[in-house]
Amino acid sequence: MQLAVNIAVLASIYALIACGYVLIYRVSRVLNLAHGELMMLAAYLLLTTASSFAGHPLFAISAAIGLSILVGAMVYLFLMRKMTGEMALAAVLATVALGVLLRGITVIVWSAQQQYPATALGLVNPSIALPGGARISLCGALLVACTAVAYGSLLAFLRFGRWGVRMRAAGQSPLLAAQRGINLHAIYAIAWSLSTFTGAMAGMLIALDSGLGQTMTIIGLKAFPAALVGGLDSLAGALAGSLIVAAAEVLLIHYVDPLLSEVVPFLVLIAMLVVRPWGLFGTREELDRV
Amino acid sequence: MSEPMLSVDKLEVVYQRAITALQGISLGVAPGQIVGVLGTNGAGKSTLLRAISGFHGVDDARVTEGTIRFEGRRIENGEPHRNTRAGIALVPERDKVFPNLTVAENLSVPVASSGSRADMSRRQALVFHHFPRLGDLRARTAGLLSGGERQMLAIAGALMCGPKLLLVDELSLGLAPVIVSDIMQKLVQIRRELSLTMIVVEQSAAVALAVVDYGYVLENGRVVLDGDATRLRDHPDIREFYLGQSSAGGRRSYRTVKQYRRNRRWYG
Repeated sequence: MQLAVNIAVLASIYALIACGYVLIYRVSRVLNLAHGELMMLAAYLLLTTASSFAGHPLFAISAAIGLSILVGAMVYLFLMRKMTGEMALAAVLATVALGVLLRGITVIVWSAQQQYPATALGLVNPSIALPGGARISLCGALLVACTAVAYGSLLAFLRFGRWGVRMRAAGQSPLLAAQRGINLHAIYAIAWSLSTFTGAMAGMLIALDSGLGQTMTIIGLKAFPAALVGGLDSLAGALAGSLIVAAAEVLLIHYVDPLLSEVVPFLVLIAMLVVRPWGLFGTREELDRV
Repeated sequence: MSEPMLSVDKLEVVYQRAITALQGISLGVAPGQIVGVLGTNGAGKSTLLRAISGFHGVDDARVTEGTIRFEGRRIENGEPHRNTRAGIALVPERDKVFPNLTVAENLSVPVASSGSRADMSRRQALVFHHFPRLGDLRARTAGLLSGGERQMLAIAGALMCGPKLLLVDELSLGLAPVIVSDIMQKLVQIRRELSLTMIVVEQSAAVALAVVDYGYVLENGRVVLDGDATRLRDHPDIREFYLGQSSAGGRRSYRTVKQYRRNRRWYG
């Protein structure tokens, strides 16, 4: 039972991070390899707002979330905007560079020590007993809930929202979308903001649960296989991929060796790439017509 | 001719900073007119339409000389979405619908130039009135539509943008003649109801000359001939090269056609 709970929590973490990869890839065909770093930055921002608004945890959290959405929009406006119309590879490399830069900045500003925003906010993280003898930490439960809400609203937005439909349209055919009066820059900026928003939620909840350090980028990187296994352009796929990767990880840690934790997602990824490179739910990329 | 709605003046378009696709193109479109642009493959017809509707970053194309004025404002090298909101909608030649969206979703994508909800639903009603087939297929994924249905959806999508000027690129491409004439008829009807101005680009001169008021013939990126529909229809070169009739009117042996290539200087 405890295993199932662990799988659910880990899958939620991966899923909440993975949807950021999926959103940006789906709309602009760019892989945002700085997603883990953006997520970490959000957690560090929480640390800062926590010290400025001590005693008002909700206020601090929403301020940090607002800041990270702003960061996401700025990343698009000042960096990725120049990359629209360039080769996708150039854009991906730009995100890699951004990631390295952000890692450096966080070390300089907040030091590389493990820190605990939960104590700074004065929050406790009690563990809750679930029926069946399993236990879950409050933050873990919040993570599962946030992921459920995030996926529910994202799926509904993309399915029924006027701008959600437009986002899907822009992802399929940017040129035709522009010819139908859609401002692609606005769409991409929305995608980047949404993606950093979900990433920020994940980053903050993980930091509240288990502390904050440079290792958080590795969690972001481990969520990438989850997105890829599901198919990079499918939200439902990201959910399924996260479950698969999390289940494999938790079970192997439990029955084989805890040291496997770091490699399991990538083993799953390699296996997937061999069998079905476009992922479980992804669309097979068509060759460009020349 | 009254004050032109769109005027193109000595337009030059260069692809990838190296390939000149259009050179010194000038044309005017008066409100309410249907203007046809004829020409063979690679003559620059589609490039002309794309220049009017706006180039996208990956096209790597630019208007290097000349101007395009729409209702008095200069729009050359403008972004496509701005031109669309200004009232120019394009029915593209390829990639004309969003294949993974349903028909209804395809029609909800456009951002109309006059943004009111009531106006949008009025337009939607008009579209479904003229293309009832689309109404039946509302929930169908656009990628699964037939060529004719796709063309209808593309026209409907462009109309949902609320245009004043509609650009139609190769309506007849890949469609059966009976479908082409059907859609063309609908289009002319819709145009009258909405008092639209249109530019139609066609390889099939027979299709174009049946509806246009005025026509331009493009060859190698230049305008080589222009005139009203009757003048073009009666022009001996048009009759021979585009409509496939000999100037004498009778049938001719295929051999004599192939024997020599008439070397006419078009301009001058």
